[in-house]
Amino acid sequence: MKILVPTKRVPDTDQRITLREDGRGINDDQLPFVINPFDAIALEEAIRLRETGCDAEILIVGIGSADYEEQLRSGLAMGADRAILVHCEESLDPWNVARILQVLVLREGPDLVLMGKQAVDDDASQVGPFLAALLDWPQATFASKVELSEDAVRVDRETDQGIETIEVTRPAVITTDLRLNEPRYASLPSILKARKKPIEQLQLEALEITLEPRIKIIGLEAPSQSRTCRRVDSVEQLVEALVEVLP
Amino acid sequence: MKILVLAETDVGRLRPASLAAIECGRQLAEPNGGSVRWLLLGAQLDTVAREAARYAPVCSVDAEKLATVTADTWAPVIARAVKQEGAELLLAGSGTFAKDVLTRAAALLGGTMASDVLGHKWVDGQLQLRRAMYAGAIVATVQLSGPVQIITCQSTAYAAAEPLAATEAIRPLAIDLADLPARVQVEAVESKRGGRPDVTEAAVVVSGGRAIKNSADFEALIGKLADTLGGAAGSSRVLVDAGIAPNELQVGQTGKIVAPEVYLALGISGAVQHMAGMKNSKTIVAVNNDPDAPIFEVANLGLVGDVYEVVPQLIERLSQRNSE
Amino acid sequence: MIRLATLLATGPEPTREILGNIPPLARWIFAVLGAAAIVCFCWGVWRRVRIWRLRPWKEERISWQTGVGRLVREIFLQHRLRGRGLASTAHLLLFSGFVVLLIGTILIAIEHLLADLLGRPPAYPVFHYGLYYIIYELVLDTFGLALIIGCCIFLWRRFRRPPSLDHKPADLVILLCLLFLGVTGYVVEGLRILQAETPQPECSFVGLAVARTLEAGGIHHVQAITLHRWSWWLHALPALALVAAFPYTRLMHAVAGSVNLLTEPGTLGRMEPISIEEVEETGLVGAGQVVDFSRERLLHFDACVACGRCEDACPAYEAGKPLSPKAVVQDIRRHLDAQGFDLLAHLARGEEGELKGALHGDVISAETLWSCTTCSACVEVCPLRVNPLGMITDMRRHLIGEGALRGTPAGALQKSQRSGNPWGLPQQDRFAWAAGLEVPTPESAPDFEYLYWVGCAASYDRRVQRVARSLIWLLKKAHVSFAVLGPEERCTGESARRMGDEFVFQELAGKNIETLSRHGVRKIVTHCPHCLNSLRQDYPQFGGQYEVVHHTQLLADLIAAGQLPEPTGDAAAQVTYHDPCYLARVGGVTEPPRQLVQIALGTENDLLEMPRNGKQTACCGAGGGRMWFDDPVEERMGRSRVDEALATGAETVAVSCPFCLIMMRDGVADKAPEKEVCDVAEILATALGYQERRTEKSSEENG
Repeated sequence: MKILVPTKRVPDTDQRITLREDGRGINDDQLPFVINPFDAIALEEAIRLRETGCDAEILIVGIGSADYEEQLRSGLAMGADRAILVHCEESLDPWNVARILQVLVLREGPDLVLMGKQAVDDDASQVGPFLAALLDWPQATFASKVELSEDAVRVDRETDQGIETIEVTRPAVITTDLRLNEPRYASLPSILKARKKPIEQLQLEALEITLEPRIKIIGLEAPSQSRTCRRVDSVEQLVEALVEVLP
Repeated sequence: MKILVLAETDVGRLRPASLAAIECGRQLAEPNGGSVRWLLLGAQLDTVAREAARYAPVCSVDAEKLATVTADTWAPVIARAVKQEGAELLLAGSGTFAKDVLTRAAALLGGTMASDVLGHKWVDGQLQLRRAMYAGAIVATVQLSGPVQIITCQSTAYAAAEPLAATEAIRPLAIDLADLPARVQVEAVESKRGGRPDVTEAAVVVSGGRAIKNSADFEALIGKLADTLGGAAGSSRVLVDAGIAPNELQVGQTGKIVAPEVYLALGISGAVQHMAGMKNSKTIVAVNNDPDAPIFEVANLGLVGDVYEVVPQLIERLSQRNSE
Repeated sequence: MIRLATLLATGPEPTREILGNIPPLARWIFAVLGAAAIVCFCWGVWRRVRIWRLRPWKEERISWQTGVGRLVREIFLQHRLRGRGLASTAHLLLFSGFVVLLIGTILIAIEHLLADLLGRPPAYPVFHYGLYYIIYELVLDTFGLALIIGCCIFLWRRFRRPPSLDHKPADLVILLCLLFLGVTGYVVEGLRILQAETPQPECSFVGLAVARTLEAGGIHHVQAITLHRWSWWLHALPALALVAAFPYTRLMHAVAGSVNLLTEPGTLGRMEPISIEEVEETGLVGAGQVVDFSRERLLHFDACVACGRCEDACPAYEAGKPLSPKAVVQDIRRHLDAQGFDLLAHLARGEEGELKGALHGDVISAETLWSCTTCSACVEVCPLRVNPLGMITDMRRHLIGEGALRGTPAGALQKSQRSGNPWGLPQQDRFAWAAGLEVPTPESAPDFEYLYWVGCAASYDRRVQRVARSLIWLLKKAHVSFAVLGPEERCTGESARRMGDEFVFQELAGKNIETLSRHGVRKIVTHCPHCLNSLRQDYPQFGGQYEVVHHTQLLADLIAAGQLPEPTGDAAAQVTYHDPCYLARVGGVTEPPRQLVQIALGTENDLLEMPRNGKQTACCGAGGGRMWFDDPVEERMGRSRVDEALATGAETVAVSCPFCLIMMRDGVADKAPEKEVCDVAEILATALGYQERRTEKSSEENG
């Protein structure tokens, strides 16, 4: 079986994100970039599925500039078998990402697409269901547990109502939530080996895709976050102050 | 502009997020004399349809096949309804329902979608939407371009709509449901919330963090205080990871984004990922043992103390006031 | 003495016949057996040496001068054995007894051989007569007693069963054998005196006493002849057996231990670098199998005698963690012995082989390895210079190389790499603590003399930031020319290296060295002993050479030089000082912090000392990456230290390390929240009039 894991290159979430002077983007020249944590969880899940006996080929995909190779290599070091980098210099909105992934899925024919529920830069949470719809595959979003069976997959989903357990037929698109697993740290020998694994480079033209931009960013702001804290010394004072602000 | 608002229901009642969506819809419709209608899917919808009709006309699709919510069956129906009605804008309140069902429907409608919108404005006749990025560190103003626009709005950014003077009409839609796929089986739903309001809907959220040692204490301190204040219980990621609090209470960048009137952060240190989920609360109150905890930098009101000592006292005094 | 002099002057030449009563056949048999025993001994030693030679030396060899010094101090004078009460005395007695008797026996053998070769009759020995003989007999009889007393004390100790001592039957047998040899030695001597009617037997005073006792018991010259022969064999055979069995028993420590004492560099706080090329070539990181250990470590497995001193000194063991340094060494030793030499040689050459049991998992668990704080107490205290810490870090390197560390501590490593600090706080915020303080940077003060290395804790932890501010105030007051790197500073990588992540460490060190070079830094002062050790010992391995001092050293010098005034106010509080492991033990700095506290206290109060102070300090529990394991307060390793500090009755616990500050503060806050924990710099600054300026935020704190 084949599992395709789309990944996104995002700034490390611990960093402070600041706007560039011209307000047209973030200051990213000093920022460390990583694989989107949710996608790392997806990759980890794919590897675990393979380890528990499903004999899968794991393919990771990145769409972006050559910088992305570093992240794909760390994915290979974690345990992915192959990587594809689709070259694209401009930033893409979720619709176009989904369309590119659709073409790759049709090309590669995986049984399962495992990806993060949201990317921690735009927090859009759209690509997963978009891709599922484009492929007309069932989707299982916000997975906190994944179990493969003969030709289906049982997924626990974290929803506003609680944990929903569903079974979907394969092929399917699964998006991962935070508590699905804890991604592994690549072993040093596998990091060194991954340096030598080839990453397939594809151009958009070769995939015969013309982009259809849907979202245009007009402007960016960095809202100020300061408040002055009034400290009280006792529970009594706290209650007094609290009662004033309670609705 | 024709606007359809996808209704989200919970045990036969409209969720407040949907009411916020209606309000958003009304605001978007206003400048150009557009119309706002509900799109209500499900089975045995009579009661909820009547409730919905108090806020806007209802387009309903009532069928057994739609009794269980799955994106697989609902999305094609939604897409068909939107096309049939000729709607230009499809709205819903943010939540896992919208992120799952509505997003899939959005793809079937061309993929022009903005999620978790915080606000909007009209510039030169163009609708511009504001949404958060990078856990709220950046707010982007975006413009959508596509045949149908799909928007989910933060329920905290728009006030719940007021009911109209008169009830509106309920119109069943004729949608072909014959070819709906049967690929998804919902086996169980396990809710751990109990009788309290949802953390994204309450005006007061009492949230616990690392200081809370186990589930029993969580109930006794956080739960009880929430009940005393008639609010919701929330949790930082630490407690959910440790199994002390259920996942639907998690507030943060990767959990729920909340903006209640009052947010009580009890024993929460204030890591930036948690702040991302609650920093738009009107008033933030913090109680923490550590006088140097970062939470005090974003709080309006702070007390340095042990949560295990302060909270029982709070419960006692507030209960006293309640009974007075 | 007068009698002796008379003896020498008047009587016949004092001497005695060697092997006098032993018939020629017996002598031949003895010679053959003796040769066999020696061959057995040599083969046994060679067996172990073969294993040591499986791997090359990793560390730099010590100079011959140091070696000679060690020979005298540590082997002959048993310097490293002090500090364990009765056991130290017993070993000194047993060791000196054994060595002297051994030398004595060898001398006799030489005398006998030479006499044979030169054809001397028994009455005319080559050198074994006269004053030499008298001294010889006196010395040997005295040291024979030492041997026996030593053995008895050890036996008594074993009978008391101290928990850290391993109780193996073989060890008891050896001890009894030595005692037996000691006692039978005198019995043989006594019988020989009786049967040979040795002239001037007074110099063999113990033997004489035995002889007199036997006489009193009815044994005279005639019976003594036969009895002497029997007793001679009774003494000779076990002696030869001991020689033959020597390298197969704990006695091998005498050989391996001596070699170790003469070769092991033993520098505390030092780690050997690994290169990426090495890893690429061998595919190995650290010690994954037992043959991956360097020659130093392989030698240690033989030097260790399971005395348990390391276990007694280990803070993890004391806190109930599954780590005993002694068990680590002994378990690996057992594992090593369970494999055949051929298999080991195979593996050492890089060939495949089936080991009985895996080093990681079967022999040593990961939990054991992660429990270590790298405090170096075990290394400091071992009389044979065995290094359990080195073995632990070798194995940690392997685990990290395998990606086997998960959870918060692994996250801390990743964050160090990405954000330059283990908490993953934004790099841009690293200098935020200095807002409004006019702290000089290399840009604003390019001619600075000292680079004040602030470290991650003081950069980000609000409590520790106060230490930095106090120190800055003091440095300015003393008109010291200094600068702080600010946001360019990144974690030294010390924790990462001690946790076993050599590459995260090298990446951080590389960046820091580049920054330090760019600013032409020569001298560094830091308040963190971990940063201190890393900058001083780790960084030179990658080209960063600096003169690094601890802030207490600098402050003490400033006061001595008059650049800082002596405080006039007297701090009325009772203060105790907790020595940080990396400052007192690894760095050897114990006096300057005490001087500073005492100065601040004035003459009214004395610094209260804890029982375990100076180099014997007890670890706070944060080193070796343990800080990032985020133990809840009740499970932390330093809890007994907190109790010890509070037991002194002190109001304030003085520390000089940010890790100790955080650990002690949390522990004290848990048990005695009214007590304070402060850095020495803060105590000094307060005594000199410094007031911490607080913003309006905290209404309840006063200045």
